[in-house]
Amino acid sequence: MSNAPAEQLPEEEIDLAAANEIIDKYLTLPGNLMPVLQGIQDEYGYVPKPTIDLVAERLNVYPSQIYGVLTFYAQFHLKPRGRFIIRVCVGTACHVSGAPRIVETFFEKVGIGHAETTPDLRFTFEKVACLGACGMAPLAMVNDDTFGKMTVQKVDDIIAEYSQRPM
Amino acid sequence: MVNLTIDDKQVTVPKNTTIFDAAKAAGIRIPILCHDKKLNPFGGCRMCLVEVEQMKGRQIPACTTPVTEGMIVRTMTDEIAKARKLVLELLLLKHPVDCPVCDAAGDCDLQNLTYEYQVNSNRFTDEKFHHAIDYDNPLIERDMNRCIHCGKCARICDEIVSFGAYTFISRGIEAKMGTQFDGPLNCEFCGSCVSVCPVGALLARPFKFKARWWAMDKVKSVCSYCGTGCQLTLGVKDNKVLTTIYDENQGFHNGQLCTRGRFAYQFVNSDKRLTTPLMKKNGALVEVTWDEALNAVQQRLASAKTAGDVAGLVTPRLTNEELFVFKKLFKDGLGSENYDHSAGYAHSALSKGAVESIGVAASSAVIADIQKTGLLLVVKSDAYETHPVVGFEINLGVKRKDVDLRIISDKKGKLTKLPGAKTYLNIPGTETLLVNALAKTLVDENLVDAAAASITGFEEWKKSLDGAAPEQVAGICGLTADEIKTLARDYVKAEKALLLLPLGLGYPGHTKELAQALFNLSFAAGKHGKEGCGVLLLAEKNNSQGAVDLGLYPVAGGKDAAAIIDGCAAGSIKTLYVAGENLVVSYPNRKKVEAALDKVDFLIVQDLFLSETAALADVVLPACSFAEKEGTFTSAGKAVQKVNRAIKPVGQAKSDFEIFNTLYVNLSGKPAVADPKAAFAEITASVPAYAGLTYETLGDAGVVVVPAMTPKFAVAPGAAPTAEVGKMALVTGSALYHCGTMSLYGEGPMHVCPAGYVEIGREDAKRLTVQDDDLVTVTSAAGAVKLKVKVGSRMPEGVVFAPYHFADQSVNSIASGESVTWVTISK
Repeated sequence: MSNAPAEQLPEEEIDLAAANEIIDKYLTLPGNLMPVLQGIQDEYGYVPKPTIDLVAERLNVYPSQIYGVLTFYAQFHLKPRGRFIIRVCVGTACHVSGAPRIVETFFEKVGIGHAETTPDLRFTFEKVACLGACGMAPLAMVNDDTFGKMTVQKVDDIIAEYSQRPM
Repeated sequence: MVNLTIDDKQVTVPKNTTIFDAAKAAGIRIPILCHDKKLNPFGGCRMCLVEVEQMKGRQIPACTTPVTEGMIVRTMTDEIAKARKLVLELLLLKHPVDCPVCDAAGDCDLQNLTYEYQVNSNRFTDEKFHHAIDYDNPLIERDMNRCIHCGKCARICDEIVSFGAYTFISRGIEAKMGTQFDGPLNCEFCGSCVSVCPVGALLARPFKFKARWWAMDKVKSVCSYCGTGCQLTLGVKDNKVLTTIYDENQGFHNGQLCTRGRFAYQFVNSDKRLTTPLMKKNGALVEVTWDEALNAVQQRLASAKTAGDVAGLVTPRLTNEELFVFKKLFKDGLGSENYDHSAGYAHSALSKGAVESIGVAASSAVIADIQKTGLLLVVKSDAYETHPVVGFEINLGVKRKDVDLRIISDKKGKLTKLPGAKTYLNIPGTETLLVNALAKTLVDENLVDAAAASITGFEEWKKSLDGAAPEQVAGICGLTADEIKTLARDYVKAEKALLLLPLGLGYPGHTKELAQALFNLSFAAGKHGKEGCGVLLLAEKNNSQGAVDLGLYPVAGGKDAAAIIDGCAAGSIKTLYVAGENLVVSYPNRKKVEAALDKVDFLIVQDLFLSETAALADVVLPACSFAEKEGTFTSAGKAVQKVNRAIKPVGQAKSDFEIFNTLYVNLSGKPAVADPKAAFAEITASVPAYAGLTYETLGDAGVVVVPAMTPKFAVAPGAAPTAEVGKMALVTGSALYHCGTMSLYGEGPMHVCPAGYVEIGREDAKRLTVQDDDLVTVTSAAGAVKLKVKVGSRMPEGVVFAPYHFADQSVNSIASGESVTWVTISK
């Protein structure tokens, strides 16, 4: 990833009213950049480019600095994320219990790789280091739902289940 | 003071000094990569690790650690050498080590330290970076593969330039120095990042592959663009100025330059330079010998002397010595006082305003006062555009010295975005009214300094402020009375307060009266004659201050620039000698100027280029640029600084000094002024402020002269321009990248800002249904021009801005020298 040129962010038109409200809320707070960006991510699911320009202008922070902050923290996202975030643990316990096969199966069945999102914005897939439930290894999560003792068969069930849910 | 020992040497330094600075003061060198004396300590590169005995031999960074009493520091031990070598090995792990094709080779801190620490092998191996190189802009090349993550570019862009183009992107091994959204660089292109880059990651593209660093002669000089008076070092090879070299020890600005200083030197060796004299024969300019050209000029001037119908317009870009001989030529050689510069009005704030207010044509403050003041009131945010490096001083003052920045301006700008800056957007052309209203507040609220009453003219001035009360002018100025009153109270309450006003051909509204109103305000508030106080009038060109110091304007009876143009039109001036001025483009009302020049019987133009004015001449004499001559410039901050000859004259060009001198000798019958040094000696004898100066005392650093001042309250009435219904207010001025018309021959500015434009606010753009790069017709009573639209958030509704530098579709085709030009804009 380090050697690849950054992907161009899509030009998009979004409603900035919510972002403006978030900025209003924190405007006078010292060190307000982080809560504003977190608020925007909560609201939009990611941090859209137009909101970065807006935050830069209203908080009088360089857009470059905001971009630096957003790329420093793994928890910020610059592109739209799926409605359902599939996380598969690849920590030590899960790894020895077969996590690599679970990951591969997800790749194959959902058709996306690590940190990617399906074009219909239903799924985002992520490998994560440890979810803190090693006793249930291998472990997967979809949003806040937990699936322990994962098997290749269960992958199909999970995909089927969340493909039906409303967006 | 703190006493410590560094390498067995006793050192005493002030509290809060870092070990690095203490060692430097003691002449002990500690290697650095990420440290710069202009920037806040960073402590990122770990090259400056030293051992402190009290810290049990632990290695600590010298650049961020303050000294303590009794500290025993070792800057070099076997362990330190090992640690530094490790740092270098790790840096070289990802670095491409492509020194043979790197422009920084020879001037690269990484290369030099690698050599010094003999890192001839690396214990580590890893894949190199494959970052794409940013060739998107024509001035700065960014090769992040060579970057060592010292962060200096980001810090200088933030701390000093206040643009913030750079940031660290991502984390850990993936981290790289980048821009917003990791896009191409799009900034002010001042090149500060290039100047501090310790390696070849950031390079000046115009200089790429031009010469090896060590193969160039380095000649110290002074920038010949704006009045800031930045010192620079020219990199010279084969009689060509190839680049400007960064020297952090030069000038008040520590080597810091703007786009013009760094990237606009190419006019010197431009292939558009005039290389031979030209004469008009059968309606066309043809090449002639110097003898023929000078004979023609001399004969004409001799007869014009008898007829008394000669006048001269000279550019304040010439050296003091040249201006001095020009004046001698006119006074003694031609018996005429019809000479002026800068269209007359661009210096009237100094030559008329300051002369009456403080008894001398100068500011009552110097540039160093900016960082020493408590409150800085800038009239027009354009001060950043006209004098960018003064702008850097303001940035530093605000960020490091807590200067309370206030801006009265008809538009927003870079300065209005600085942290804590308060902007008062006024209706264009009402500045004098507004400044008088500030003074009136002091009078009404009994805030006038006790000493002010004893200054000449106090009572009369006080009376003249009747009708200038905030309540009476607030509506006209576009501010509220409360805003005016608060600003006045804050100004007087500040222990030190400084007023700043940029001048120039683009600012006809910055008049004698406005300058006087500012001086009056400073006297009334007791903010005069003290450190960090006074009025700083930023004269436009490199030697504008010198030109007024030497009196290059009619003092007794002669015609000023406007009268000269009128005289040409009326037929009373038949011979006009223009040296370096491009009045067709830069003087107000182009049509009028062209018509006047058309009437002149004999037009002599002496210039570097075949300018729009030179093209109309009967004789064109090729002159030398600043790089080809010796002399002095006086900056807006009154620093008299030495210009040194870096190259031989281009083609057959002769210095203005030599040309004026020849004509002076032949027309006056008096002996020549031997050389610039002799001229300077005569100047110091006749200009009181320069008394006692010699080339030797100027040295490389120059001398800031402080003239004696006698304050006097001068009545300075203001008036609002009469708005024309349904029209927009066009204000003219300077673009950030340009200065006068000379920068049109510098590659750098022309890459970034190649043509004139009209800047329109978002709301107005919506109303006019225009967007960026649309071609619109801007029509005033004087004429119409087609300009490209630039939409931005700087302009208030109803106000538009256009820079004045450009020859094609020049703004003086529609502007006639009023503070505001009323225009309509149509697609």
